[in-house]
Amino acid sequence: MKKNIVALVGIVMLTISLGFSQAKKPTLMVVPSDVWCNQNGYMLTFDNQGTQVKVPDYKRAFQENAEVLQVISQINGMMAERGFPLKNMESAIKTLESNAAEDNMRSSKDTGSGVSESPIDALKKVAKADIIMQLTWTVNKTGPKKSITFNLQGLDAYTDKQIATATGTGAPSFSAETPVLLSEAVLSHMDNFTGSLQTHFDDMFENGREIIVRIQKWDDWDGDLETEFGDDDEELGVIIEDWLADNAVKGRFSTTDMTADMALFEQVRIPLFNEKGRAIDARRFVKGLSKVLKNEPYSIPNKLVMKGLGRATIILGGK
Amino acid sequence: MNKQIAKIGLVLLLITFGFNAQAQRKKKLANRDTKAWRYDVECEGIAKQGSKLVKVWSYSKNPKFAIGQAMKNAVHGIVFKGYAGGGNGCTSFKPLVRNAAAETEHAAFFESFFSDGGEFRKYVTAAADGNIAPGDRLKVSKREYKIGVVVNVATDQLRKRLESEGIIKALSAGF
Repeated sequence: MKKNIVALVGIVMLTISLGFSQAKKPTLMVVPSDVWCNQNGYMLTFDNQGTQVKVPDYKRAFQENAEVLQVISQINGMMAERGFPLKNMESAIKTLESNAAEDNMRSSKDTGSGVSESPIDALKKVAKADIIMQLTWTVNKTGPKKSITFNLQGLDAYTDKQIATATGTGAPSFSAETPVLLSEAVLSHMDNFTGSLQTHFDDMFENGREIIVRIQKWDDWDGDLETEFGDDDEELGVIIEDWLADNAVKGRFSTTDMTADMALFEQVRIPLFNEKGRAIDARRFVKGLSKVLKNEPYSIPNKLVMKGLGRATIILGGK
Repeated sequence: MNKQIAKIGLVLLLITFGFNAQAQRKKKLANRDTKAWRYDVECEGIAKQGSKLVKVWSYSKNPKFAIGQAMKNAVHGIVFKGYAGGGNGCTSFKPLVRNAAAETEHAAFFESFFSDGGEFRKYVTAAADGNIAPGDRLKVSKREYKIGVVVNVATDQLRKRLESEGIIKALSAGF
């Protein structure tokens, strides 16, 4: 009788925990596209070993262009209304700058040492989001008539796939100012954008989150992905593929690249929750593979590195 | 004398009942047309944030009923039909309810929502004071009119109502 009660309580608690579980919410951020920055002169040019390279100067765009602020503000407002407040890129850039300044000034009270930062940490200090809403618009002029061609693309920051879109050219007007036309463009396109985003989320809840898994090795490790293990002399690369097939949702993944030194798996569909009902991301999912490789019979020490919700890399041969 | 007055009264009463029954029949017909998606919705321009400005073309033998039914048709159209883009800077609009089976799955809710004087009225207002442009009153056959009425549908509020009823999922549902 007691056992039955304990089992019943357990089942109820598990049901409640699963019922209240929430998947990891992706962050979204509106970013002016390279094309828009280039057309409006917000680019930085530098010499990269003889090649002129242009990169967008977002900070200057936000400081000098009122239209971009208007459009981003309107998009932010409409997304917040749908329960998806966006990260504001301008604020993210300012926060990064102030954090960097504080980190430079900070020192330990006891030893006077500074805050530790590896070159990788420094590289990662950029404004980022899980889904980038890339914004482009152009003002078309035919005589006195003006119209706006508007393009908003939702890009998954990890898989590089376009997951949502809204694009089109508005009605030409003789009298309306550009900000009015821009406002109309946002109003007329946002429903389509959120509609396609909803389709993406529906697919994610049904088929799992799509992530990228990379396998690499340290230079000084004497093994590689062709090293054979077990009685049937299975190659390590195939063993990893088998693990993914067993653990991905419906076994769905694609092996994009596989060499002795590296492997790249794309379109890996991972469950949104683990067996405990907790929300997981790429890092938590690949942690399982990392543990399998670390333990017997493979005994391969490895390092797991992550990039946001959707990208994880295992580097074989050490931490 | 008294008998004559009684006869006239009876005749008047019958005429009144007759008109009433006729009106009821036309109302039923109009409701049946809505259920059968016998109306057309087109975008009329860019409305304020959170709403859509649409022109609804309804069919009826009596223009009065078509005008009355336009508001119901507009909300029905936004919920189940959507519209294609077109002029005036309009883009296409997908219906709020994408699941084709939702109408039957939530039949009780929609029955009361779209009943005469039902909740649908909260989400629609007549634009242009309900006036019909001369070109929007078309006689499509000997006995039928096609009437175009411009209305404003509060799509954001309507969507939230359907979300609260569990008929559609919110964008942030599950996160």
